[in-house]
Amino acid sequence: MNNPGDHSVSHSESNILHVTGMSRFTGDLAQEMECLFGKVVFSKYAHARISGIDITKTLQAPGVQAVISAADIPGSNQTGPVFHDEPCLAEDTVQCIGQAILLIAATCRPEAEKAAETVNISYEPLPAILELEDAMQYGEITGRERWLKRGDTHAGFEQSEYLIEGQIRTGAQEHWYLETQASLAIPGEAGEILIHSSTQHPSETQAIVAEVLGIPRNKVTVEVHRMGGAFGGKETQANPVAAWAALLAVKCGKPVLLQLSRQDDQRMTGKRHRFLSTYKAGFTAEGKILAYEASLHGDAGCTADLSGAILERALFHTDNAYYIPNISVTGRMWKTNHPSNTAFRGFGGPQGMAVIEQVIDRIARFLGKDPLEIRQLNLYQGVHNVTHYGQEIQDNHLEAILQQLIHSASYYQRRKEINEFNSRNAFFKKGMALTPVKFGISFTTSYLNQAGALVHIYQDGSILLSHGGTEMGQGLHTKIRGIAAREMGVAEVRIRVAPTNTSRVPNTSATAASSGSDLNGMAVKDAIDKLKYRISEAVAGSWTSDGKASRREEILFANDKVSHRSDADLSMSFEAAVQLAYKSKRSLSATGYYATPGLAFDPMTGKGHPFHYFAFGAAVSEVLLDVLTGRVSLLRTDILHDTGTSLNPDIDKGQIAGGYVQGLGWCTSEIIRWDQDGRLLNHGPDTYKIPTIGDIPAAFNIALFPGSHQPTAIHGSKAVGEPPLMLAFSAWLAVKDAISAVASHRKEPEFELPASVDTILQAIFALNQTNTSDP
Amino acid sequence: MPESSSTVSFLLDGSVRSLDFSKDGLLPSTTVLDYLKRLQNHHGTREACREGDCGACTVVIAEEAPDGRLAYKAVNACLLFLPAIHGKQLITVENLPLRDGEKLILHPVQQALLLHNGIQCGFCTPGVVMSMFALYKSNAPAEESLVREALAGNLCRCTGYHAILQACIEAISQRTEDHFDITEAETLKILREIRNTQLEDSFRTREQHYMIPRKLNQALLMLQQYPAATLVNGASDVAVLQNIKHRIFPEILDLSHVHELDFFYEDHANWFIGAGLRLQDLKTIAAGRMPVLHGLLLHFASLQIRNVATLAGNVASASPIGDALPLLFVMDARVHLASVSGSRIVPIEAFILSYRKTDLGPGELITMISIPKPARPSLLRWYKVSNRKDADIASVSAAFSVELKDGVTSDIRIAYGGMAATPLRAAQTEAFLKGKPWERPVVEDAMQLLQNEFTPIGDARSSALARTLAARNLLLKYWSETNADVHE
Repeated sequence: MNNPGDHSVSHSESNILHVTGMSRFTGDLAQEMECLFGKVVFSKYAHARISGIDITKTLQAPGVQAVISAADIPGSNQTGPVFHDEPCLAEDTVQCIGQAILLIAATCRPEAEKAAETVNISYEPLPAILELEDAMQYGEITGRERWLKRGDTHAGFEQSEYLIEGQIRTGAQEHWYLETQASLAIPGEAGEILIHSSTQHPSETQAIVAEVLGIPRNKVTVEVHRMGGAFGGKETQANPVAAWAALLAVKCGKPVLLQLSRQDDQRMTGKRHRFLSTYKAGFTAEGKILAYEASLHGDAGCTADLSGAILERALFHTDNAYYIPNISVTGRMWKTNHPSNTAFRGFGGPQGMAVIEQVIDRIARFLGKDPLEIRQLNLYQGVHNVTHYGQEIQDNHLEAILQQLIHSASYYQRRKEINEFNSRNAFFKKGMALTPVKFGISFTTSYLNQAGALVHIYQDGSILLSHGGTEMGQGLHTKIRGIAAREMGVAEVRIRVAPTNTSRVPNTSATAASSGSDLNGMAVKDAIDKLKYRISEAVAGSWTSDGKASRREEILFANDKVSHRSDADLSMSFEAAVQLAYKSKRSLSATGYYATPGLAFDPMTGKGHPFHYFAFGAAVSEVLLDVLTGRVSLLRTDILHDTGTSLNPDIDKGQIAGGYVQGLGWCTSEIIRWDQDGRLLNHGPDTYKIPTIGDIPAAFNIALFPGSHQPTAIHGSKAVGEPPLMLAFSAWLAVKDAISAVASHRKEPEFELPASVDTILQAIFALNQTNTSDP
Repeated sequence: MPESSSTVSFLLDGSVRSLDFSKDGLLPSTTVLDYLKRLQNHHGTREACREGDCGACTVVIAEEAPDGRLAYKAVNACLLFLPAIHGKQLITVENLPLRDGEKLILHPVQQALLLHNGIQCGFCTPGVVMSMFALYKSNAPAEESLVREALAGNLCRCTGYHAILQACIEAISQRTEDHFDITEAETLKILREIRNTQLEDSFRTREQHYMIPRKLNQALLMLQQYPAATLVNGASDVAVLQNIKHRIFPEILDLSHVHELDFFYEDHANWFIGAGLRLQDLKTIAAGRMPVLHGLLLHFASLQIRNVATLAGNVASASPIGDALPLLFVMDARVHLASVSGSRIVPIEAFILSYRKTDLGPGELITMISIPKPARPSLLRWYKVSNRKDADIASVSAAFSVELKDGVTSDIRIAYGGMAATPLRAAQTEAFLKGKPWERPVVEDAMQLLQNEFTPIGDARSSALARTLAARNLLLKYWSETNADVHE
């Protein structure tokens, strides 16, 4: 789907660096300078009063340069991104295991680690809330209760022939970005500080470092070369790491690298919020849902972080792809004594969608129908095309995607084969599910939907492009470079994308909500429009055509040339045009700005237009279940996903495959448990199992939905970062389908997310226990 | 004595690097990863876990194989102590491209990864490249299952592996000569020269005494003198303790250069597995001889670990799960021990005393493990229940071996891992089954009994209930694969 006339797709320069090991991540930059190493001493108790801190031995430990506590913070002891409820370092109480208490700087990492073991902190333990149920019974919520509703669910239930009720748990998920949280702080002159940070949100990192140091933001520069993965985990939780590195660097007057060890990272940072959700659905004998109520309860952890916005998105996605005439959904985020949970690809959307997908699956089993039939029956289509918050679903491709996928994946043929297989085998069962995804694109906090860019053209015709987005592996810089080349009418090799830097583009939003290329691409286009305007003026002024002076509007930028639209004789190289503009005293540097138009949502009425548009997709997954061991093998997955007119099909397919497999991990093998004192048990890769290459489907077919074009987004494209994660519900429910086959689909299996071996073995055991009593 | 005698020497970046632990301030048990971090231009070997579970630090070690050619093995740099690479070539991602003046000519595996877009954030990429490279340098055919096996130890959180898989298959299927082939003879010569210089058999620094004997006799003498020394071979367990728990082992006896222990042989009744034989080599040997052991090793840790770890190490760690232990229990394996004062043979069940404790006496080490050949290999099975198929420790593992006479169980051996503080035989269940027909109702009764025989714990990997269910189910699974219907 490359646009005709595109310059040959060039590999991003970064990929050549990556494949040769020459790319530099934050930790690598420290190897190039004389640098101290930071270490965080954190709470060993989930909730406690700190009764004493003894650092006598620590100060004398080899290599120790500084030990910092809350009392040493020159500015405000706060790193809370939205609410000021998150101390940079604990003062008298600790709210979770992993909360930072002290910072140590030493001349090498082993010394810093050894020194941390010499700290003696005494605690008076306080009662801790560690389970969602306990929080719901005795605890308090963070932020406010949120709700969305349409119609009258009571009336809807009364009209319904059948009702089902239940609850479903969805688990926490550790980001497991390969590069752990890292910041390198380099003090400069006159109180300036430069932070190289692995952060998705450089502007917020800058703001928080400035507040903690008590200096204005114009003295803090945050730069991001790249991140070794982030997935939401570095949207807010990179901020304290930067603040800690900055505090140590200022105290020591030397560069300090603070990079968390894997185990510290897993223990200290937040995860995807686990949810416990209850639901009630009323439906017809045909399977049409008439009314749906759901109550979503999330584990916020010990501070607010982004929990409010995550809950909001969860509620916006409680419908997934289904029109429900009467719906009422409420949500609460409960405070617990765990590290504050945070953004993670999908940002609450997956937790909201899992509930309705479970409901649909239950309805199908209850009615003895194929779940796909129930999905299609309830899909947004025709006149039923407005969400429960009042937004019309424009360019709704859901039904078309489902139809194409049913066909390309031979759904019904395979369903038959699976039924035959299952009737012949007792100890192996196959399962299959097809699930759709509808995902709203935009930050639901409307003002965040803005972006900036800065484009310089130098006199040799080379271009330096800066924008507010950060590169975490999603290919943003490659996409932006492609957008800029197309807008400027030049080859990509002419353009270099500079590392993201708060001194080049200020006041940016996080690279999050899948919005990176939408927002920053438009901002870059705005800057380039300005530059083209100025160059056009200069060029037009130098040309006459048919005896008339050329007009700016007649100037065309294409193929590294600046030409007259209708007079083939008038053309000059891009460099010559740039020179001309320079000599005619026109600025060859421009800022660009973009804010998504038309977004509005009123929390008082629960209605509005929070999303710029929707991304759609669907997946079919087929699994083979070993009934006796609980082992699941993915036999085949087919995905059809809508990326609009893709900016880069290779990158988009990579996002789809990666999102699906990351979702697969959340839905199957990634288990997080705590002990009774709140200690995380799965704090390393030995016990926390993200998918390996051995877990991906034996046949994996990924296609982009053809013919979609998002007219209001950059070059007709659609965002692709988050939506594919939820395609993994097809694998989750395929596992359930296989479990259900153990009881010939006559009993509803006990089920939750993840469908771990544990869950599977217990569900099958329960089915077998009750199987005989089933009529 | 020549000057190089006090050093560990290996080939890196085309030249011999010699490290003198007494002068360089390096702990002898410094890992290759930590060593590379001190060098300029080697930051491509990345750290993401320091416990051998992610593969981001994968490097390739080339050494002379018995056929006189170089063998290339992917290993985790974070688990490899420097003395282990003495006389070998250390290859990092920076060494793969050919440099032609300013120009970089990428290695075919790098090209393929670029072409297939198998790269997103790039952090895991060098490790993936090195695993691909090791596979490229083997003679493995371009089969998807082999690619999955070779890359199961490389975690990637971005790509979903799909593009990496395709890239690797393509690179392998178009294998041609690379610059490592061209310089092979020269490399072999250099490595032989290093190995021919006398290496000191121990390094003493202020914090650590690191012994690296060449001969078994020498190892036993050292162990007699330093009975508290920590024994390592692949060091894949001990290195984790050093990395994660920050433990410094004051005395280490490294057996990785005692080539006498690196053997396999068989007679009519037994297989003999040398304590120094790497699991990956054992896997190759087992492929034709011991299908059950081969199946076990296929999903045992990752290739990077199997390239350094040994069966003896797995036995000596006496883990409650110890993937291989239940099978060794059922096969009645024997542990051969040696010390200066003699040798003895201990049945595997007697060797495992309690949680992570063995019968290994002071001054003793494992020389080999012998396994009697099963009378009816088709009735031998091993199963593993784990959250993830590859590179995961079992929550429950089990091995079974039944002897049937006219459909009646004349003898049966059942052993479980993960169900108690050590792997255990299911003695009561075995006794119950003996003399009874090998039929489903009997097996179902046995499953009930089994449930009472063990009281497993819940932990990070599994709940107690799921362990009990798995243990029961595995007996049924075994029956389903060996009952009369299957074998008549």
